[in-house]
Amino acid sequence: MWSMILRRIGIGIVTMFAVSVIIFCGTRILPGDAAQIRLGQEATETNLAAFRKELGLDRPAHVQYFSWVKDTLSGDLGVSLASDVPVTDLIRDRYKNTLYVSAVTAVIGVPLSVLLGILAAMFPGGIYDRVVTFISVTLVSAPEFFLATLLVLIFAFYFNFTSAVVVGGVEGKTFLEILRHFFLPIMALCMIIAAQLIRMTRAAVLNVMSSPYVEMAILKGVPRKRIIMRHALFNAIGPIVNVIALNLAYLISGVVIIEVFFAYSGLATLMVQGVQTRDYNLIQVLGMLFCCVYIILMLIADIASIVSNPRLRHPR
Amino acid sequence: MSNFKPKQVSFDDLNAIEKDNLLTAIRRGASRRDVLKMMGALGVTSAAAATGIFAGAKDAWAQTPKRGGRLVIAHDQHGPNDTLDPQLYTSTIDYTRGRMFYGSLVRLGPDLVPQPELAEAFEVSSDGKVWTFDLKKGVTFHDGSSMGPDDVVWTMSRHLGKESKSKAGSLVDYVTEWKKSGPNQVQAILESPNVDLPTILGTFHFKILKKDTTDFSKTVGTGPYRIKEFKPGVRSIGTPFEDYWGEGGYLDEIEMFGIGDPVARLNAFLNGDIQVMGNVTSKAIPQVESADGREIFSVPSGAYINIAARRDMAPGNNNDLVLALKHLMDRERVVKGVLKGQGGLGNDQPIGPAYADHCSDIPQRALDPEKAKFHLKKSGHTGPIEIVAAEVAPGSVEQALFLQREAKKIGLDVQVKKVTSDGYWGAVWLKAPLCVVSWNMRPTANVMMSLAFKGDAKWNETFYKSDKFDDLLVKSRAVTDPGPRKQMYCDMQEIIHNEYGCILPAHRNYVDGIASNVKGIPKVPLNAFGGAELPVGVWLDS
Repeated sequence: MWSMILRRIGIGIVTMFAVSVIIFCGTRILPGDAAQIRLGQEATETNLAAFRKELGLDRPAHVQYFSWVKDTLSGDLGVSLASDVPVTDLIRDRYKNTLYVSAVTAVIGVPLSVLLGILAAMFPGGIYDRVVTFISVTLVSAPEFFLATLLVLIFAFYFNFTSAVVVGGVEGKTFLEILRHFFLPIMALCMIIAAQLIRMTRAAVLNVMSSPYVEMAILKGVPRKRIIMRHALFNAIGPIVNVIALNLAYLISGVVIIEVFFAYSGLATLMVQGVQTRDYNLIQVLGMLFCCVYIILMLIADIASIVSNPRLRHPR
Repeated sequence: MSNFKPKQVSFDDLNAIEKDNLLTAIRRGASRRDVLKMMGALGVTSAAAATGIFAGAKDAWAQTPKRGGRLVIAHDQHGPNDTLDPQLYTSTIDYTRGRMFYGSLVRLGPDLVPQPELAEAFEVSSDGKVWTFDLKKGVTFHDGSSMGPDDVVWTMSRHLGKESKSKAGSLVDYVTEWKKSGPNQVQAILESPNVDLPTILGTFHFKILKKDTTDFSKTVGTGPYRIKEFKPGVRSIGTPFEDYWGEGGYLDEIEMFGIGDPVARLNAFLNGDIQVMGNVTSKAIPQVESADGREIFSVPSGAYINIAARRDMAPGNNNDLVLALKHLMDRERVVKGVLKGQGGLGNDQPIGPAYADHCSDIPQRALDPEKAKFHLKKSGHTGPIEIVAAEVAPGSVEQALFLQREAKKIGLDVQVKKVTSDGYWGAVWLKAPLCVVSWNMRPTANVMMSLAFKGDAKWNETFYKSDKFDDLLVKSRAVTDPGPRKQMYCDMQEIIHNEYGCILPAHRNYVDGIASNVKGIPKVPLNAFGGAELPVGVWLDS
């Protein structure tokens, strides 16, 4: 088992290097560069050249790449090309928003949806299953901005319970205040991930329920609840954990629409803005950060499925 | 001797309806004499009393700014490229934040005439080539150091030279040098005369910095608010600068950020999360108007949409055909239908009424199928005409569609080719024979016309060259005398109106939303938030 985990970690590191090359090339393929975007209509050949030199964009591509790798490995993430502010400052201003929202969403959304999914799998075809399936399919198909608009309408305008957008910072707020601060985005994201997780959990558990050993258990008269909790669930953990990991990665890097709609600054919006301003340094750092989060989550998911599955734990 | 004294009646003694009537009258421009008459009708016969009432009412109307309160304002775009370096400003948020923290040599009012700010006086030499600015004494930066000529010279020199990164470099490219000419005086030496320089220095990019500022994350200015927080793309917060030299800086705190999504911005505004909202879309105007305690703050500006017909190639090289198109433009419909009344009629020349040098003597061109028919026949043109259009501004596509509709009625086939706005400026504009364009307002008529109408201008989008126009444009830069100046500017506007390929249906307003208790925003037409002048004088009524 340990050798397997070590191998996974090794693969993860190789992946990160591969991704770093892809991101680096990807940013350079974009038309225009940071100097051009910053100077805009005032750009002339002379001031462009001067500005590029100042930003270090006049060096050959491979030199830029290796100096970036070297700086990153020594802990220097560089300065934003679009604003001369250290990239770490830009991230520091935003990572808390992303972290709070995704953590709270995960803590509330994941257990709840796994539970609902298992319950639905327990009595497939029953009224409860139908209702849950109906709601989750509806939520899966509803676009994020529609869901968000609906929530604003209900909670901000009808009940007047919260503000329509997230205003102000989180400094010095207690946990409950933060919860209220991010109430709408957390609610919207819970609904979005819950829809997927419920569907996946239900499908994974039902899949196991149709396997021969479960039929055996049914035949020998084990109660359904016990079959699911003791036998089916453990065997379904592998796929469920993988879906959870994918959803968590989405919460960190992919919630642009929710961030835009509720007007709080998070890492996903920062990435989009980085691309718009051709801020290579920022795109690269964020790209690696997202890649890192993804690899770590996947690693955890893999370990979880290995631990829960004896066949993987003791490979022949 | 009698100790009888006439009872002194003050404004406060009147009843609510009388007060209201009086205020309405004064708002409409009633003089002291008119008020005297009104008071006579109310039985107040003493002239002194009436005068007192008039003064009281006038004060009540002008409403002295109140101190205190917290204001949250949001415009559309912000991002990691938000900056505190004025020469790199790109967005309304940047401009407004700059107004909060910094000062300018001059300040522009609603009429765009430069008023003294950090320069208490300024004058031009008789040949128009040397501008002298006398600086205000006793102005301090937020760190307590005092502002002097060295700071001004250093700041202004950043905009000069070929390697300058300044976004506004081309506005002052005729300045060869800034120099200190006295203990409290600076001079700008010009290559060629330009009387517009002070007006230009009142715009966004020319905010005064402390000499040798390199770290723009901790910069200091002379503005009414000091930086409490600045996080690019997140928010900026200003708190009052206790040693501000002038009037202004009334609030305890101003918070400023961007909400890119128009629906989210409107939600936040209607829900009370923000008190000032930039860029209200025309669809949302009725919603804001019907909301309690929410108002539209609309400023007519010189910004415009137009169709540019290239005069150097077919079909625009035929002026009669262009005139036919000009007479086919339904301007009323663009202003009423698309801009929902938040704009003014365009007259086929860029210098709208918001400019100080606007010429009102040129008759307004209107939809006139008969004249269009006449010019079309005279042009001898046959066959279809293609206009390339993209959603570059509200109404930019509709103007072409309206033209198409009217043209069909007189048998002219206008085809509108709709393309995406992404990459439009590089791929279509200055290339297609006819295409739609959107322009922002510039601080002076001369800047606007030099930018897009001078024969050799990079952005002369109709590719028309008139020696008379170019000559007038350069000469008028040296003219301050109102009479000749007006004549010159009228001549230029008339040439554009009649000869250029600029079909210009409408000037659009800057439309913001403000809470009803937000006061003191001047209607400067150069940008949203009153030309980004909001921070200085804004205050909250209780």
